[in-house]
Amino acid sequence: MKRQNVRTLALIICTFIYLLVGAAVFDALESKKETTQKKKVYDRKQELRNKYNLTKLNFDELEEVVLQLKPHKAGLQWKFAGSFYFAITVITTIGYGHAAPSTDGGKVFCMLYALLGIPLTLVMFQSLGERINTLVRYLLHRLKNCLGMRRTEVSMVNMVAIGFISCMSTLCMGALSFSHFEGWSFFHAYYYCFITLTTIGFGDYVALQKDQALQTNPKYVAFCFMYILTGLTVIGAFLNLVVLRFMTMNAEDEKRDAEQRALLSQNGQAGGHNHPGCAPDPPSSSSAASGCSGGAGGTGGPGGGGNGGVGGAGRGLRNVYAEVLHFQSMCSCLWYKSREKLQYSIPMIIPRDLSTSDTYMEQGEAFSSDALHPLHSNGCVYSMHQPHSVISSVSTGLHSLTPYRLGHSKRRSSI
Amino acid sequence: MKKQNVRTLSLILCMFSYLLVGAAVFDALESETESSRRRILELKRTEMKKKYRLSEDDYRQIEQVVLQAEPHHAGRQWKFAGSFYFAITVITTIGYGHAAPGTDAGKVFCMFYAVLGIPLTLVMFQSLGERMNTFVRYLLWRAKQCLGLRRTEVSMENMVSVGFLSCIGTLCVGAAAFSHYEGWTFFHAYYYCFITLTTIGFGDFVALQKKEDLQEKTPYVAFSFMYILVGLTVIGAFLNLVVLRFLTMNTEDERRDAQERASIKRERGLLTMGKHSHPLTFTRCCGVTA
Repeated sequence: MKRQNVRTLALIICTFIYLLVGAAVFDALESKKETTQKKKVYDRKQELRNKYNLTKLNFDELEEVVLQLKPHKAGLQWKFAGSFYFAITVITTIGYGHAAPSTDGGKVFCMLYALLGIPLTLVMFQSLGERINTLVRYLLHRLKNCLGMRRTEVSMVNMVAIGFISCMSTLCMGALSFSHFEGWSFFHAYYYCFITLTTIGFGDYVALQKDQALQTNPKYVAFCFMYILTGLTVIGAFLNLVVLRFMTMNAEDEKRDAEQRALLSQNGQAGGHNHPGCAPDPPSSSSAASGCSGGAGGTGGPGGGGNGGVGGAGRGLRNVYAEVLHFQSMCSCLWYKSREKLQYSIPMIIPRDLSTSDTYMEQGEAFSSDALHPLHSNGCVYSMHQPHSVISSVSTGLHSLTPYRLGHSKRRSSI
Repeated sequence: MKKQNVRTLSLILCMFSYLLVGAAVFDALESETESSRRRILELKRTEMKKKYRLSEDDYRQIEQVVLQAEPHHAGRQWKFAGSFYFAITVITTIGYGHAAPGTDAGKVFCMFYAVLGIPLTLVMFQSLGERMNTFVRYLLWRAKQCLGLRRTEVSMENMVSVGFLSCIGTLCVGAAAFSHYEGWTFFHAYYYCFITLTTIGFGDFVALQKKEDLQEKTPYVAFSFMYILVGLTVIGAFLNLVVLRFLTMNTEDERRDAQERASIKRERGLLTMGKHSHPLTFTRCCGVTA
């Protein structure tokens, strides 16, 4: 089966299993407390009914009024500040629900507002996140230079570590502020920040709901809004670094497959034997993860479905592994080059670590073919950059090329 | 300024303006209703307090109990079916809040669960969405062939229209189903489906909350879960088609810039050295389209 289909099926199965496991654990953790709490509450209800001499009907009446007043308890929710808060929860998809449009006109506008606002916000956060990552990468590079380190490339591991630490500190900072201003415990404030910045937004804890804060405390209101938006940017930058590449995996494979097919039909090659044949077992030096296949190194991202690889043959784990290595060696991704390390006259081995160095794989005698299966015809693919595509591959049309003799194919060792 | 920076700045400005405009419109649409409703309810409350001879303190006590009892109205929320529902709302980031972990251990597990589950779900939906788009593209191509059309390529407009129609269709199917089972109006059910499938998830309308539905009406429960997951796939496929490319714009521009810098350097270097490079591979590697 095609790799993309295998990957997709594996992801679906993973997700279902994840849901089942989660459900079981939540059941175990919460069910008991729910039962005891329910009993307690109902007993208390009964107690109060007796105390104040209320019939069931009376109590239900009271209950209804209380519940209807609930959203109003926290103050005016739809004045400008409250509406701004609400608009934020819509376009970031946090959706606390502390305030929800009650008029039908409000509901309609809410839907239209979300339709345009959500993609805008997604693109904005990813755009800004990428800029932040680039800036951080540059700063780290300068720092390494200043510290006089030997290797000044910024590796993926560096970036992921910094991203992770920024996320944690953003959450902690928020937890401190909100625990102070809202009177929550640190843990509950942390939980609130986490649920907000992952855009889950249960609404069990919502900021700006105490003491008419929305109307009376503009500084705190501004802080909350800025916190939510900057926090989402930090999380977005981390997602841009770690997760985004996985979201384009299938599309890139499709593109590569299409180009290979085009090549085959173009060159009229009999069978595609050289394409799978382009998957030799290169030396382990090519174990550096390519940026396109998503890299390893603590991404913690979904492992299901396999990471990258080239060719279409899902012939088994060994072949997948060979293909992954082949892919890395013939990677049609672009690799950033560190200017200091440019030595194009010397064939370079693909770096083992995930540094941002460009390596040129030149035609050179250094790459002897004993480790690789030489290609007998011009089936080998290498990359050419196209707009809006991360990987594309084009045949070189050269004969007797081993993957390592492709000439200047640049590879990116880290994003 | 670099293209990426200009783009990012304009997006930030766009978003802020969008928020301001949205806030103003919501204010205009909802403020009046809110104030009048609040007035009415407060009057009713005073009336009731008088009727049942309750002091402010008494009322507060009753209020507290009522608010605590609220989540229990909808039946058991944490048995397996309810927990599964909750797990779905976590990893899809819908987050209704109809049920939220009460124990601290539940909160901790919820956070860890989300950290791994949300990326997994994002990638899964995009993966499946891409497969669906490819399949639809293929079907459309075959349809065009069968219909004997002259141009059988499937254009982007075709795909976008089909995608948009599928989204609307999904929302309408859900609206019809939920308005029937939950007793909502069609409009409210449509609103519920929209808010759910965009993962906003206010929680003002939540399915499976009628008394003990989660425990008793198993086929309906299964339908709801499947609807949410399939609906999110359809929306995800549409996003994959239309929005995903914009998410990688800056990264690709950076890559292109780096390539250009590299090829300029290479050119310079090769001009001075001119020994080791194969002319063909040289042009190949510099053959980067913008």
